[in-house]
Amino acid sequence: MSASLSFDQAPPISVPLRFFLTAPLFGIVAGLVLAFSGGEALSSRWHPVVLGLTHLLVAGFLLQAMAGALFQFVPVVTGGNVRHPRLMAGLTHGSLSIGTPLLVLGFFTLAPMLFTMAAVFLGFGLLALVLIVGMALLQTKAQGATLPALQAAVFSLLITAILGVTLALTIGKGIPLDIMPILEAHQTWGLAGWALMLLAGVSWSVVPMFQITPPYPSLLTRSFVPTMLTALGIFSSSLIFDSQLLATGSKALLLLVAAAFAGSTLRIQAKRKRKTTDSTLIFFRSAMVLLLVFCIGSLVLLVQPDLANHTEIPVALGILLLQGVFASTVCGMLYKIVPFLVWLYLQSRSAAGRIAPNMNKMIPPAHSRRQMWCHLLSLALLLPSPWLPPLAYPAGLCLALSYSGLLWNLLTVMKAYRLFISQNSVVAGHPQS
Amino acid sequence: MSEPRVIDGREMEPPGPLEATLEALDTLPPGEELILLLTCQPHPLYQVLRRNGYIWTEAWDDDFTNVIHIRAA
Repeated sequence: MSASLSFDQAPPISVPLRFFLTAPLFGIVAGLVLAFSGGEALSSRWHPVVLGLTHLLVAGFLLQAMAGALFQFVPVVTGGNVRHPRLMAGLTHGSLSIGTPLLVLGFFTLAPMLFTMAAVFLGFGLLALVLIVGMALLQTKAQGATLPALQAAVFSLLITAILGVTLALTIGKGIPLDIMPILEAHQTWGLAGWALMLLAGVSWSVVPMFQITPPYPSLLTRSFVPTMLTALGIFSSSLIFDSQLLATGSKALLLLVAAAFAGSTLRIQAKRKRKTTDSTLIFFRSAMVLLLVFCIGSLVLLVQPDLANHTEIPVALGILLLQGVFASTVCGMLYKIVPFLVWLYLQSRSAAGRIAPNMNKMIPPAHSRRQMWCHLLSLALLLPSPWLPPLAYPAGLCLALSYSGLLWNLLTVMKAYRLFISQNSVVAGHPQS
Repeated sequence: MSEPRVIDGREMEPPGPLEATLEALDTLPPGEELILLLTCQPHPLYQVLRRNGYIWTEAWDDDFTNVIHIRAA
């Protein structure tokens, strides 16, 4: 490793790490809430406890992890310049960390004031995130398919946030408004526009890079963003014009594009040149198989809408998508991103001739593998819970255990970081962040 | 002038290509060029190169290979 070159890493390591280390805490709380609230609530996706649990996962775990990934990923992969990263990450992280518990408590207590306060904090935090990351993404001259996907994801996050704040204020202020179309739009823009678009954009870079696969087919990477945005536009129009045909057609298109992404990922993973199998690979493969199952299940619901009268089915599909697809891929990515950025930081700060610890050994593989199996077991227990409510207790405990394991493993990286810093002189002029 | 040294990082897991490139730059004779083959744009490496007075060009092949030529400014 170079002994003479100096680094200029951006952003400071504390910027993404605060998000990554906070995210699992929301997952732990979600598991404990599920275990102690029982499974009866899982009979309908509109039950306040389900909405609270959903937002612990989407606004707590996923949004924190994805915001941290954006602060790190945009400079490292697209070369985008995120301005004032410490200040903006502080504002975003603080607002999300206060706003999410307020929103969840709002669902659990149905106190209007909590929804209003949550709208203010979450709205402010998301606006800060969208503005600072959006500007960096618009100004960078990076090439490749990742950039437009990230731009579209951040745009979708803005739409999702505006709709979410509108919903929270509608409930908080008791405004007489038909919230169902806004709810539908908030959910679809959030899951398909923000989360899936971000996952795909990050995957275009990360899957070939870390799993040593061939690149994604250019037909998919070029058509993904325009097709998704067109489908989301048509879906939004269907809500305005109250057209069932447009709604069904656009949802089917979104599901087909999602299935194409999942199928392509599995296909290139099957052709990977490096044959070792680590936790990240299994997390990703499981997620893509589950995304295919979700797409098939949702398409069946579109063709046979009467099935949705069995209210357990939409809940199970939601579990499949949130915990099975998005949480799995986030766990898998955290096991690569956190050691990599700690390695990069240590290498840039280490004294001449000192070598930063091997990033692949910062988290013992047995530890990440144990957490992965716990995560998958929690999913296996969660999926039948809407039909078998007593399963929610072990599922919730397993979920809490899984996120505790994730936090522990990420803290193991921090221990390696602190050990290296304490054992090696830090290069002058590079204060610890 | 001798043949430029080539690092094929297309099948290396990060941070392998970055480590190999920085090691090679430490011993790169003045006026000579290092060629790095990747399947991505390595922005962290570009930051290091910019900061340490190296210049580089990149060109994408038909097989999605980014051919990066690096030399001291």
